[in-house]
Amino acid sequence: MRRAKVFSGTSHPELTEHICERLGITPAPVALKKFGNQETSVKIGCSVRNEDVFIIQSGSRNINDHLMELLIMISACKGASASRITAVMPYFPYSKQSKKKKYRGAITAKMVANLLSVAGVDHIITMDLHASQMQGFFNKPVDNLYAEPSIAKWIQDSVPEYSTGVVVSKNAGGAKRVTSLADRLKIDFALIHTDRTRVLRNNSTTTVTPVNEVSTEESISISDEDKNFSFQTSNTTSNNITFAIINDKKYDDEDDLPSSSTSFSEEPLFSEENELNCSNTITLVGDVAGKVAFIVDDMIDKAGSFIAAAEHLMKRCNAKRVYVISTHGILSNDSLIEIEKCKSIHKLVVTNTFPIPLENRHQSTKLEIIDVSATLAEAIRRTHNGESISYLFYTAL
Amino acid sequence: MSTNSIKIFAGNSHLELAQLVASKIGVDLSKVVVLKYSNQETSVTIGESVRDEDVFIIQSGCGEINDNLMELLIMINACKTASARRITAVIPCFPYARQDKKDKSRAPITAKLVANMLTVSGANHVITMDLHASQIQGFFNVPVDNLYCEPSMLKYIKTEIPDWKNAMIVSPDAGGAKRATSIADRLNLDFALIHKERKKANEVSRMVLVGDVNGKVAILVDDMADTCGTLITAAKTLKDKGAIKVYAIVAHGILSGKAIDVINEPYLERLVVTNTIPHEDKKRVCPKIDTIDVSPTLAEAIRRTHNGESVSFLFSHAPE
Repeated sequence: MRRAKVFSGTSHPELTEHICERLGITPAPVALKKFGNQETSVKIGCSVRNEDVFIIQSGSRNINDHLMELLIMISACKGASASRITAVMPYFPYSKQSKKKKYRGAITAKMVANLLSVAGVDHIITMDLHASQMQGFFNKPVDNLYAEPSIAKWIQDSVPEYSTGVVVSKNAGGAKRVTSLADRLKIDFALIHTDRTRVLRNNSTTTVTPVNEVSTEESISISDEDKNFSFQTSNTTSNNITFAIINDKKYDDEDDLPSSSTSFSEEPLFSEENELNCSNTITLVGDVAGKVAFIVDDMIDKAGSFIAAAEHLMKRCNAKRVYVISTHGILSNDSLIEIEKCKSIHKLVVTNTFPIPLENRHQSTKLEIIDVSATLAEAIRRTHNGESISYLFYTAL
Repeated sequence: MSTNSIKIFAGNSHLELAQLVASKIGVDLSKVVVLKYSNQETSVTIGESVRDEDVFIIQSGCGEINDNLMELLIMINACKTASARRITAVIPCFPYARQDKKDKSRAPITAKLVANMLTVSGANHVITMDLHASQIQGFFNVPVDNLYCEPSMLKYIKTEIPDWKNAMIVSPDAGGAKRATSIADRLNLDFALIHKERKKANEVSRMVLVGDVNGKVAILVDDMADTCGTLITAAKTLKDKGAIKVYAIVAHGILSGKAIDVINEPYLERLVVTNTIPHEDKKRVCPKIDTIDVSPTLAEAIRRTHNGESVSFLFSHAPE
């Protein structure tokens, strides 16, 4: 590629290597480090004047650091007179926060889009955005690539009896994604539904976590708005502390709270007792008996909801085998180990858009990683040459 | 001294709704003359002072959609240049909301363009209802309050559908599954899903029902009914699968093209739409259409916005 430079952030050097290998170039030199006070420092190691610059940076565990790094790199290239700067973000950070939740939520994905634009980005290449509407957050062109062709190819190559299989969505929000894959593979689909309100009613023995920051008045208004939280005032404490009962948070992936949430502790929810209580309210719409089931979603962060879905499919619905498939394998905390222990899940299939540390990969025998670097590399090549990339939406490379 | 009172203006798209909203708040609609020059340009004359006032402009995205949008933009701009303190566009049905993503190569994101146009013309705040995708809120750099018809729908189901306890909530496509499950949860009912399946190339797509409706009343739930093609095929499928009756509840009843003819076919018991879009004339030729009045929700949202109160209450409650 003439007059093009590909830079790599520190989030996912392995993916950059794969991409550059496909493009037949070496990553352009850049020195990325941190000052003693934790500020990020970027030194572009070659001239980018009038060059077509691509910066590859995915999300990662240190998401804020890597986002900042990307912004600084973009800004540095802009200041160094690059002719065009394309951010290649296989996993778009904060993409789950793409809409206002029912009360006062920030649309952080939109803010990230604004930050990128302000830093000076001219073009974005990303993959399987949580909501494709996010392309509208930018005033710049966004190419949202799909992992679906690669995933479909993997299923066709690796699962012999896939043609009698069923693609399953583990929540209603993902139904559309799943039907698209089912159509491509020409197989049936089903849907798992977890009823949160009914969970609330059935589930009396929930973990109680003190919430001191929330005043009584406000907590009542929140309980009106969101069924996931119900608040009660404890009679046993004298100083009128408000208690929060958080139900079923682990199944509630669309509205996931961050795991390091300051006001609510989620950890106690992973108790056995809770799991048993909640799994009663899972319903499967569709039929998987005697068939191979593919639970498909765009990202797998915590494993709880996937495990619950897989258990339900195997134990109550008599599925033959369960594959968990998702594009972005975020797999935070001990998700990999939990999945490893879960007998109901046969394989976990993710793509390499999100970095999974080597030592974690060794923990799991069920993990399969699909390489999507070819799709990303081809998108970069076509973008550079001004060719159409529509071809990549339907074809696995 | 400024009074900073509510001024409600109405465009030509849905005067009736604007009047309902204004009467709920207890004010008269402010004077505005919106007409067209002979060369089809829209002309707006604001008939009273808006200096330092809190202006709400009610205009729905329906009928002559481009004319109505242009009218709204010009009205916002007219109020802006007339020194209004704050201008809130109340858009019950957001125009171009379905063009919210690049679903095909080179597709324009027109909803984003509309958002930009509203912001550029000077809107400080947007109130809308049941956006096709709530991500559209992120297209704006100004606050957007996306109200829900759901509480009104729930109320309707509980009061107007006699055997609702024996009902199934059905989504006519996979994209609407989330909306349907939310209603099903609130009513403690089961739900099912219809999927247009393309088994093989060149084969006519067929509808597949995921779930069981045999011997039940089926309530189809969607955010929009345009030509009603999908809705009727869905109703037909449900009837074939043994549903006793099929109701459809839809937030925005655009009802264009052959919609009235297909609704009059015997598959659908009743089609319930909200009055975010005017449909009185259609109601006269099609007795199956029933209306949910959402003006109380809009009026309350306007009142609360004006007074700086929280609107969250309206997300789960339908005011009288």
